[in-house]
Amino acid sequence: MEALNFWQNMSPLAITGVVIGSMLFLFLARTPIHKAFESLSEGTGGGFRRIGDWAKKLAEKMRERDRKVLLESGIAAAENKLREEFLRVEASYSKHLADFPGLQRKLDDNISKIEGDYRECGQATPEAPGWNDAVASIAKIKGSSGDRIIEKMLGEIHKSAIEGEKRALSELRTTTAKRHKILSSMAPMWKGISKTLKEVGEQVSAVLETTRRIDKYMTQFEKVRKGDEDSIDMLASRANKLFIFSLIMISIAAAGVFVNFNIIALPVSELVPGDTRILGLPVSKFSAMVIICLEVMCGIFLTEALGMTNIIPHIGMMTRGKRRMILFASLIFLFLLACVEASLGVLREALAEGDALQKQALAGVAATGLSSSTSKFTVVGQAGLGFILPWILSMVAIPLEMLIETSQHVFYKFLILLVNLFGYLCNAIGYLIEYAIKILIHLYDAYIIVPSQIGNAVGGGKSKARMT
Amino acid sequence: MKRNIRISVAATILLLGAGCSDSKQYETAMCALVDVSGTYAQEKPNVVRAIKAGLLPELEPGDSLFLITIDSNSYNEEDLRAKLTLDYIPSKANEQTLAFAKTLDAFAKNDMHSSHTDISGAMMLCSDYLKNTGSGNRAIITFSDMREELQSGLKREFRPTEFEGTDIAALNVIKLNKDTMDPEIYRQRMADWEKRVMAAGAKSWTVILDATKIPEYMERLK
Repeated sequence: MEALNFWQNMSPLAITGVVIGSMLFLFLARTPIHKAFESLSEGTGGGFRRIGDWAKKLAEKMRERDRKVLLESGIAAAENKLREEFLRVEASYSKHLADFPGLQRKLDDNISKIEGDYRECGQATPEAPGWNDAVASIAKIKGSSGDRIIEKMLGEIHKSAIEGEKRALSELRTTTAKRHKILSSMAPMWKGISKTLKEVGEQVSAVLETTRRIDKYMTQFEKVRKGDEDSIDMLASRANKLFIFSLIMISIAAAGVFVNFNIIALPVSELVPGDTRILGLPVSKFSAMVIICLEVMCGIFLTEALGMTNIIPHIGMMTRGKRRMILFASLIFLFLLACVEASLGVLREALAEGDALQKQALAGVAATGLSSSTSKFTVVGQAGLGFILPWILSMVAIPLEMLIETSQHVFYKFLILLVNLFGYLCNAIGYLIEYAIKILIHLYDAYIIVPSQIGNAVGGGKSKARMT
Repeated sequence: MKRNIRISVAATILLLGAGCSDSKQYETAMCALVDVSGTYAQEKPNVVRAIKAGLLPELEPGDSLFLITIDSNSYNEEDLRAKLTLDYIPSKANEQTLAFAKTLDAFAKNDMHSSHTDISGAMMLCSDYLKNTGSGNRAIITFSDMREELQSGLKREFRPTEFEGTDIAALNVIKLNKDTMDPEIYRQRMADWEKRVMAAGAKSWTVILDATKIPEYMERLK
């Protein structure tokens, strides 16, 4: 500091001399010093601005890449949906079309039976036209002739007419009863036909529903394929929503894992002594974690085999038979693991009780222990929890897949934000440096204003003289 | 690609190797030094109660506990009254703890008494045993009035690394008549001990006035 205050010891004349000398020197060296300032400005401020521009371009590239990833995933999702629908249609068609010949045969049988019955209903013995009426007319003239023989004959005719009428009536009744019987036997057939037609109607409406769904997915697919801003926005918004949802689900699952771990860690140490450590964890605790990881793995295989997720594409591409095998295998393993956990829950309770009794004994308190009913409830609770938790954790595969799928977009978004921020910061620093150097140049010019003005005046006079 | 796989496999093996290296460093070994000299000998039942209620329940599988008495010449194997290293199987560890508690009860009933107080010798013996366990956490808890009275001929000088990596605590320190007359005597005695053990490389020196604070202290150790 003392070195900077050297001028305090100088005489005013010397100071004036130094100032004028420096002014003259700076005036004469104005052009190279201006160039030096410009170079400094270009080198530092310009450098920062270039970094800023590079960051901006990088962010743009990343945005484009994210856009492509979103579109690809959107197309893949739409294709998957369509594929699933077509598979459903195929399954439905192959099943129902296989049933169709049987259905048709059933319908034909019913119709031919109805036709036969109808024909049978139509067969009635025809009577001689007008014969009964003639006999009735002759019978009415009874007693009008006065001749006994004729009267007797007419009486006989009358009698035979009545008998004939009675017989005809009885025959009519028998035939009608037969027809009614035939008609009543036709009722189940009509019902059968109606039921069959209803089934056909239902299947047709299901097919129509599937077709409508396919239409909807096709429209979505076309929209996504076009890749316009609306569909990108829609896909991005859906990805964000799914990411948040899956993150919540995974957090809940992590809490479940924590609870599960605490249930099984102590009893596992009874089976696997923790005298060695892996990654700082006793083997017993590590084994408990492995059991939980195996449950999650079984869950992933289960959901893959069910076609609910597509984390391992190889399983999705397998034949139905192989997938069924994986499904049953993962179900069996999951069941076994759940049973193991339930038994560990029971063991844990026994150990905890022993521990509590030990602490009471060490503290010199008379051992009280838990009442048997409370202990039973706790055992059942722990065992139940141990059995249920693996099944719940196995479902984590669904949000896990969602998280994996959507995290790429969210990660890109976050990275783009960071790169943009970095770019803005670099640009701001560049501007600040450039303006600071400009201010320095102005201050420099202000310092040499006197010699500059003199120089301008002299230069101006000379130029005027040259002109005259 | 193959190179990357090789590097990943090597890194995993190294990581697992580092993880599996030594489980001893996670375990705790501690000594309980019990003064049986002078008036402090009457405190034995209280000390045993404090060990049973405070120290034993806090031990975890793999941890070790040594019970050493402070008498006229404590740097002596005979002063190691009991030792316990808990099994890694919890049920077996529980059985061991209960058996050790019975040993402590027998120790409390034992009528032993000494004329001199060799705290340093007990500490040195304890340090030898603790180092031998190879445990990551080591602690010495002294139950004494912390007034050393060495018999003639005994030489007790700590090496600069005597208590390296060891936490030392004084518990249930009974104040002597002189201490009650002038607290500065007691405070100076404690300060001298702190200076001595810290100079011998101790990790920490703590005076625990309340026996219920033992679990808290143990938690801090781990």
